[in-house]
Amino acid sequence: MKNVAITGKKNWYNKLLLEMKKNYLLYLMILPGILYIIIFRYIPMYGLTIAFKDYKITSSISNAPWIGFANFIDLFKRNAFQRAFCNNIIISFSKLIFGFPAPIILALLINEVKRSKLKKLVQTAVILPNFISWIVIYGLMTAIFSPNTGIMASLASLIGYRGEVVNLLTNKDTFREVITISYIWQAAGIGTIVYLAAISGIDTEQYEAAALDGAGRWRQMWHITLANLKPTIITLLIFRVGGIMNAGFDQIFAISNDIVISKADIISTYVYRLGLEQRKFGIATAAGFLESMIGLVLVLITNQIARVIDRDSAIM
Amino acid sequence: MRTKSKQKVWKKKKTIGDRISSGFIGIILTIIVIITIYPFWHVLMYSLSDSKASMGGGIFLYPRDFSILSYQLLFQTEQIFVAFGNTLFKTIFGTALSVILTALTAYPLSLPRFKGRGFFSMMIFFTMLFSGGMIPTYLLVKELGLIDNYLVYILPGAMSAYDMFILRNFFQSLPPSLEESAFLDGANAFQIFYKIILPLSKPVLAAVTMFYGIGNWNSYMDGVLYVNKSDMQLLQVYLRQLITAAGGKGALGDLSNLGSAAALTEDTMKMTVIAVSVIPVLIVYPFLQKYYTKGVLVGSVKG
Repeated sequence: MKNVAITGKKNWYNKLLLEMKKNYLLYLMILPGILYIIIFRYIPMYGLTIAFKDYKITSSISNAPWIGFANFIDLFKRNAFQRAFCNNIIISFSKLIFGFPAPIILALLINEVKRSKLKKLVQTAVILPNFISWIVIYGLMTAIFSPNTGIMASLASLIGYRGEVVNLLTNKDTFREVITISYIWQAAGIGTIVYLAAISGIDTEQYEAAALDGAGRWRQMWHITLANLKPTIITLLIFRVGGIMNAGFDQIFAISNDIVISKADIISTYVYRLGLEQRKFGIATAAGFLESMIGLVLVLITNQIARVIDRDSAIM
Repeated sequence: MRTKSKQKVWKKKKTIGDRISSGFIGIILTIIVIITIYPFWHVLMYSLSDSKASMGGGIFLYPRDFSILSYQLLFQTEQIFVAFGNTLFKTIFGTALSVILTALTAYPLSLPRFKGRGFFSMMIFFTMLFSGGMIPTYLLVKELGLIDNYLVYILPGAMSAYDMFILRNFFQSLPPSLEESAFLDGANAFQIFYKIILPLSKPVLAAVTMFYGIGNWNSYMDGVLYVNKSDMQLLQVYLRQLITAAGGKGALGDLSNLGSAAALTEDTMKMTVIAVSVIPVLIVYPFLQKYYTKGVLVGSVKG
């Protein structure tokens, strides 16, 4: 019995060696990529251990003493973290609620356009914001919201409004709305393309049959187009819900400022300030760790739910 | 005969409701196009206007008192060229390295005969779900001595798992007989990859190249997190500095001693800076959009 196990193991080892010899070129090709993944993706995961350590920049990660959950306890006591956590959830949810349906609606509308020139124009226009950085978008936003010369102020005076125009970029009461709307402006186009492609794959016979049955345009849109989009919608929804902890670091880092920080600070921007500006690496990593963990759990849960609803739309 | 009349009735019915809803949809979409395009147009036209004429603001459908003074001034500063050069470096070399690395990784993973394919795929997929995050990555980069090193612009973000899976999925969709027959002809794995697979994958490679290229051109955080030297500054970082600084003109610093600077307002200067960073993207956009769309679509098919 024992002997068999050993030879079995040896066989397995020999087989692997033989396989690697035979296909050594393939292994050579994949080597740099795997090294990259290990160094730049997995080593930082090991670095997460400093969330449980008393880490100083002068010592190495492995030498730092373990301190259990002290960093987390310190973190939870900080008002700024509680604020960032709440903001994170509020901003993510409003992006999900208002941002998720936007490309679906846009795709349905574009699909109704029969003139291909207008169709092409709209498609080309809506993806454009996807090509520019949040810094540039911030620049465009200053051009829009500037209280003296901005587009908003000009429009207001065009319709006869003579009062003071608020600069929305420095108004904390409406800043979350600014975040959500600018997010939709930037991101809706790319989702629209995905949905339009899914729509173009729908069998036209379904529409013909529905038309013969007397279904009008809106009913066709609802019962055929939208019904056929269901798997795509569910898959994209999983990704979005799974990524709910990601409230948009690049965007908020680029467009927020000290005046609106109480409404705009999210976990990742907080991690940046705490870790890289105040050099509190342990506590900042604890916050980052929490964010990553919750994100992972959410993806796994939403994926499980998707499996139950519709097996094909699960991502794993 | 009966079906014909039925169709006619239905067609007629369609036209009545159709006109209204078509018009309605057309108006909404036109507004959306204007909201998307106008900010760009506004910035371009504003930057090309004379400062005195544009001072009052308003809607800019064309430049008022056409002037390129602000551009002349901006291009007299050295830093804009330094920042442009750094971003160009990152875009060219970073993108080249990324595409090569990604394709080399994706190919073996697309082959059913490649042992360890499941393991390696899983290993890479997991990085899409969980990551070490900002601080541990920063500490690693520091430990590797990459702070203020040009390699930091190309190494840490060299491969995106998402783009890798896009390529792998595409390679998988190619007929396996191609690979098999080349194999029987005595070609080795690398030759098959280089001479058969890559040429067949041009559109997807173009899309992935573009994802990386656009990402590099727009990248900002690498320049904030890992770089302190001003001669290594990225364009986006410089841009943000100019936009947020007390005034574009203030940050341009040495410009104040140029006599003509007085004729320019801060706003014009800011618009010019934004325009300069957007113009390259606007120029390449119409050519790249097709591939971009394609890439997004290949990516949205799961595998």
